Amino acid sequence: MKGLLIKDLRLMKVQKNFFIIFIVIAVGMAAFSYDISFMLGFLSFVLSLFTLSTISYDEFDNGNAFLFTLPISRTSYTAEKYCLALLLGGGSCIFASILAVIFGIFNKTADFSEIAMTALAILPVLIVIQSVMIPFQLKFGGEKGRIALIGVLGLLFVVGIAFVKIAEMLGIDIIKVIENLPTVSMGVMAAIIFFAVVIILFISVKISISIMKGKEF
Amino acid sequence: MLKIEHLKKHYNNFSLDCSLEVKSGCITGLIGQNGSGKSTTFKAILGLISIDGGSVTVFGKDIQSFTAKDKENLGVVLSDSGFSGYLTVKDIIPILKNLYRNFNYMLFINQIRRFQLPLDKKIKDFSTGMKAKLKMLIAISHNAKLLILDEPTSGLDVIARDELLEMLREFMEEEEERSILISSHISSDLETLCDDIYMINDGKIIMHEDTDVLLSNYALLKTDQEQFKKLDKQFIIRTKKESYGYSCLTNQKQYYIENNPKIAVEKGTIDNVIAMMIKGEPK
Repeated sequence: MKGLLIKDLRLMKVQKNFFIIFIVIAVGMAAFSYDISFMLGFLSFVLSLFTLSTISYDEFDNGNAFLFTLPISRTSYTAEKYCLALLLGGGSCIFASILAVIFGIFNKTADFSEIAMTALAILPVLIVIQSVMIPFQLKFGGEKGRIALIGVLGLLFVVGIAFVKIAEMLGIDIIKVIENLPTVSMGVMAAIIFFAVVIILFISVKISISIMKGKEF
Repeated sequence: MLKIEHLKKHYNNFSLDCSLEVKSGCITGLIGQNGSGKSTTFKAILGLISIDGGSVTVFGKDIQSFTAKDKENLGVVLSDSGFSGYLTVKDIIPILKNLYRNFNYMLFINQIRRFQLPLDKKIKDFSTGMKAKLKMLIAISHNAKLLILDEPTSGLDVIARDELLEMLREFMEEEEERSILISSHISSDLETLCDDIYMINDGKIIMHEDTDVLLSNYALLKTDQEQFKKLDKQFIIRTKKESYGYSCLTNQKQYYIENNPKIAVEKGTIDNVIAMMIKGEPK
């Protein structure tokens, strides 16, 4: 696992210019915008996407064939990609929060609780996005993966619209239903989100492992 | 060390059914034309593809149950794959150090210096010879018991090929137990290196012989029509119609030299033996 992480970090070094550009953009956002949530989300999301690019690098030039002759298993390879995504996502979220605090102090707009709340809200979203994207990238590779992902998002959109339309036809007002849901406390909500994210992550890892086990190189 | 029994793999227009064995302390060669099944066999041994039947055992363990730890005892060179071209030798060292518990840093770095491979240059910018040397150095850097080498000398000039073969000989001399399975389409490489040779054609092993026996006992008899008619064919393996008459492959060269002094006898080489095995008719 450690060897694979080192490999990916060394591969990401190739893209260090992009890293620097994104960080500069984030610093600009933090310096000139009062809305830190966008900067936090932007940096965490964009940097964690580098995980997907390491998968493309592995596949490039039939590299996977040699990679899987090294003392690694298909399971550990998959697990490493998730670890990398979490490290990059979590790391960049912390980094972005520090940026927000520093510039908040400078601009005298620092609201630590808001920064902390935003960072904590971004993390589950980040994990869910990666949980969807990593299996697609592993299954279809870089180019096809993006097309397949757009296809699935489009399909989800169509299903959503169809769901709303059907509800309308049946005379159900979805907004009212949502409004009438029993209100839960912040803590319970956080717990629900936490467990939902863990379950999504678990299912995603399982799917990715089975994708990798079925691959031939 | 490595045993393959009726390994089967089916593709749309190709079927592999291969059995072979690499014994401890031996260098075994696998030779065949392009598309004959060499790479498929190698991929199956390494667990890179699923198999449709048969078994592959390495160090007495089925390849299906091979763990990451077991893989530390393998050194692998694949002709069409390697570490990402975007990495440098400097990048690879910590990766190998963390993947292989027996990674020999001093040996690796000394060999890198010996072959003048640059530490900071991206592998994709290496010459073909440099890439091949690096692949081989990686394979022998962690005290592997078995090397699986698929076309390691492909695309190299004579000098670079000799250096690579020398590297393998040194590797074998260090420990008696080590073994190598190597494929090549350059038969002279295998003739000087291998203890025994398997020939594969159209997914099937068509011949297995000790290299010494192949080179000393095999021969090509060149006969005209008349000589062919009178020829004792009990030790003839293959015959082939030629413009001058027939060429016949035998594994009893001495017998025919003694009994047919007028027949032209050409010494057996891997090239002419495999050509006859593929294109010749069984007697």
